[in-house]
Amino acid sequence: PPSPQTRAARVRVGKGDKPVTYEKAHAPHYIAHRKGWLSLHTGNLAGELSAAERAVEDAFLRRFLYGTFPGILADEVVLKRRANLLVVCAVLARGLAPAKLYFLVGYAETLLSHFYKCPVRLELQTVPTKVVYKYL
Amino acid sequence: QDPTAAHYMFQDDPFLMPRNAANSRLFALSKESGRNAAKYIIKQFPQYFDKTFAEPNVSCLMPEALTPQIEGVSEEALKERIHLRRVKDSVDLFDQLVQAGTPVSLETTNSLLDLLCFYGDGESTPEKNEEEKEDLKEPKVNASEQKAPTRPFQRGSQSSSPRWRENNNAERIFKIMPERNAHSYCTMIRGMVKHGASAKAYDMYIDLLNERHKADVHTFNALITAVPYLKERFLERWELAKVFLNHMAQQGVQPNLLTFNALLKMLRRCGGLGRSMSLLVIKEMEALDIEPSLATYDHLLFIFYRGVDLCPSGIISEVLDDVEKRTFTPQDPDDGMDFYIADNCCDLKDITLAYRLNKAIEKGDNWKFLDVDRLNAYWSKFFSLLCMMEQIDVVLKWYKEMSPSLFYPTPKNILDLLQALDAANHLEVIPSVWEDMKQLGFNRRQDLLEELLSLMSREQHPEEIQLAFAKCAEDIKAVHEQTGREQALLEWTGSALGHVVLLFSRAGRTQDAWYVNMMERFQQINRIPTEQVMHEFLNCAKQTNCPDEAIKLVKLAASFGLPSSQRLKSRMEKEFELSEKQK
Repeated sequence: PPSPQTRAARVRVGKGDKPVTYEKAHAPHYIAHRKGWLSLHTGNLAGELSAAERAVEDAFLRRFLYGTFPGILADEVVLKRRANLLVVCAVLARGLAPAKLYFLVGYAETLLSHFYKCPVRLELQTVPTKVVYKYL
Repeated sequence: QDPTAAHYMFQDDPFLMPRNAANSRLFALSKESGRNAAKYIIKQFPQYFDKTFAEPNVSCLMPEALTPQIEGVSEEALKERIHLRRVKDSVDLFDQLVQAGTPVSLETTNSLLDLLCFYGDGESTPEKNEEEKEDLKEPKVNASEQKAPTRPFQRGSQSSSPRWRENNNAERIFKIMPERNAHSYCTMIRGMVKHGASAKAYDMYIDLLNERHKADVHTFNALITAVPYLKERFLERWELAKVFLNHMAQQGVQPNLLTFNALLKMLRRCGGLGRSMSLLVIKEMEALDIEPSLATYDHLLFIFYRGVDLCPSGIISEVLDDVEKRTFTPQDPDDGMDFYIADNCCDLKDITLAYRLNKAIEKGDNWKFLDVDRLNAYWSKFFSLLCMMEQIDVVLKWYKEMSPSLFYPTPKNILDLLQALDAANHLEVIPSVWEDMKQLGFNRRQDLLEELLSLMSREQHPEEIQLAFAKCAEDIKAVHEQTGREQALLEWTGSALGHVVLLFSRAGRTQDAWYVNMMERFQQINRIPTEQVMHEFLNCAKQTNCPDEAIKLVKLAASFGLPSSQRLKSRMEKEFELSEKQK
């Protein structure tokens, strides 16, 4: 029976018509070899606390951003924590007018700052379409 | 400073970067409205945002506790509601207390009066939020909060303050107060002046004098600001102001900066009298050792330079000397008018003054006085001045540095730039200017297009420049023909059409020139191509060896009945070898 370790976070090979981003195309054993981390914080270092809280925050943030930018998130969101600051780096497709994007940015930044009691900064990059790495 | 980057409040992405002034304002405002939306959510559902797990607790990120805690009818409850700025609730509570018979202390009544007079009997938070310019206004508001001991301005601009109604709550409470002290009178006067009931304020002031109370400096400031509304003629206004000042001296009240600024503001509306008096005011100020603020200079310059007869005086250079020497802290709500200095510099066409002002702005905290709109206007004026006065290299250098990061050129700026290029004979830069124009969204403006085309087609230029010009002409032609859904069709004018034909002919693009030159088009707009156009076209046709085109041209000229058609025909016969049929 296939163990979870051989099924985790891999996109199965199909007919060749499924576009897949670089992030999704690589299996988890490529982390630190061909992939980076999606969430950077010091909770997992020796002697540091509250790694679990960071994980919960990450999960919430990803869902929140997936909902606030409906359909235009081109890739997974990268979260970087520097001291008290939370930097959210997102890649968006150009689906909305820039003014609307700015509205969502202001809204998300303020709401998340008030929710997590720490300054949150949103740094966006726009791409014309989702960047396809290969077709599986 | 990076000259190609937009303001740091925008995201650093080519799709999200604003390209012209309208866009930058739109993006800034939409970001701000997003923030307001989030604040609204937080206010509606404070229960999700009030867990305090941060150590130390960050108070500014917690939802504000705006509901009064103490229930019941008591003086503490009243004090709390006043503190929370809930006007209606506090008035109701006060009425309840009075009816119940419990005495309300004088301080509490006074603070209630303060609240009412500040808000003019309207509520403290308006239902619709007015547009907030960007956060550059914040430091100004906070600083003035420290200076003025009254409640700070809620949103900075008070454009639609409600009028003082007859017998509103403040007056009612004032009348039923058993004892009133000077503070009550003062508050009432200031409230009345603030909300436009100047005559009543004056009456109240007379009452105050009758009761032998002393007014404080803020009351006098308010009264002085009310003077223009009380009297019409200049001399009477000045006399009334002097009366107030005398009273101030009698009651031993020290005037402060705001007094002098109020005086100067009043003098702005006093015309010629203002000019002579304002210098006296300045001397007084120096005698009392009060440092003038930016608003002072602004009023001064206004008095001296906005008159119908602009008599140049050395005052602006003196003002600039002072401005350069010190950094300013905001002290007066009118301090944001630094712009007037800039305005006047540019009107006077003095470039050295403008450079000095530039340096002064970059020093210290002075940049905070110009918010984004004013910044744009200031730089636009500065750039016009540069184009007029300076060499073309300097102009181009400033242009490269300033746009698009510091400001977005207005159409007038582009016109000035084109004229400067013309004066310096640097017309090869024009294609790049056209690119910028397209980016800025000016490619449909009739006047700019005319200017551009006439500059391009005036003389013969070397080959590659001519090609570049022809490409621009093609773009412009595309703009004219584009029938967009929302955009109205741009009308061709005769000269524009002629210029385009010229440019095409010079670059050797006969087909395009003929296509442009189609008879219907000229007839459509009922214009006749000039002779120069026709000759150029013939030249071009000769070069590219298309006699058919030439014939078509002659036929066109003949159909218009031009006198030059004869000349054209003879030229044709000389220069071309035509078959019999063509003849």
